[in-house]
Amino acid sequence: MDAVTSLIAAAGAFAVLSSIGVLLTRDNFYAALYMSVTMLLIAAIYAVYNVQAVVVMIALIFIGAVGIITVAVAASYRSMPSRRVDLLWVAPVIVVFAIVCYAYIKLAKGAVSPIEFGYFSAVPTDYLLVVIFLFSVIILMMLSAIKLARRVEP
Amino acid sequence: MISQLAILLSISAAILLIAYITAISSRDLVRLLISLELMFGAVFLAILPLFSIAPTMAFAIALLTIFTSASELLVLITAIILLDKRKKGIGVDKVAVGGDSL
Repeated sequence: MDAVTSLIAAAGAFAVLSSIGVLLTRDNFYAALYMSVTMLLIAAIYAVYNVQAVVVMIALIFIGAVGIITVAVAASYRSMPSRRVDLLWVAPVIVVFAIVCYAYIKLAKGAVSPIEFGYFSAVPTDYLLVVIFLFSVIILMMLSAIKLARRVEP
Repeated sequence: MISQLAILLSISAAILLIAYITAISSRDLVRLLISLELMFGAVFLAILPLFSIAPTMAFAIALLTIFTSASELLVLITAIILLDKRKKGIGVDKVAVGGDSL
């Protein structure tokens, strides 16, 4: 096993362990922290493959914005709920997971070696319109959420 | 010898399964939100092999996924706070009925 494969396997193993932490902990605050660690390790796997633009986006948007808000919300609602698996949802989960595993085993072939591509330099040229539209979507959705929040009586 | 693709997809599937189990066993909406974010993490890992085949398309998909999922999660956080304001709690059983009240 070469260095890159070992690095991916190690980061992946820690990511799975921290996601198991999300499942096992009873405190929402720690669950949110474990989730942030998982996302950070996923970004680390992207960094191993030198796809730095996605690393920056995951770190800034997913961990920096959404992750921190989730941690703050989880700290506010820091309950310790009793765990109960809803049996009605077990069958759909098994079916979906079986389909995903089948697709992974049967269809995924070849090696992973990301092609060198100027991701950062392509953002202001190739992807500028997409980024503008996506920022507009976020602003529109947040404005709608604020309007809805102001309408609700406490 | 285990290939890098197999390792990546195994990790992605494992995180997805853990997120599913967290979602079906969660009793409050914050835990549900956290499980959704884990599912998006599994999706990000599944996109990674696409960077070997078509990097421009993979980057566009990654951009779309990150931005749309982030906006969706932010709206969901707002919905959790609104639900707490209206129902005085964030338990899943409070939204099990759904819809408008007549």
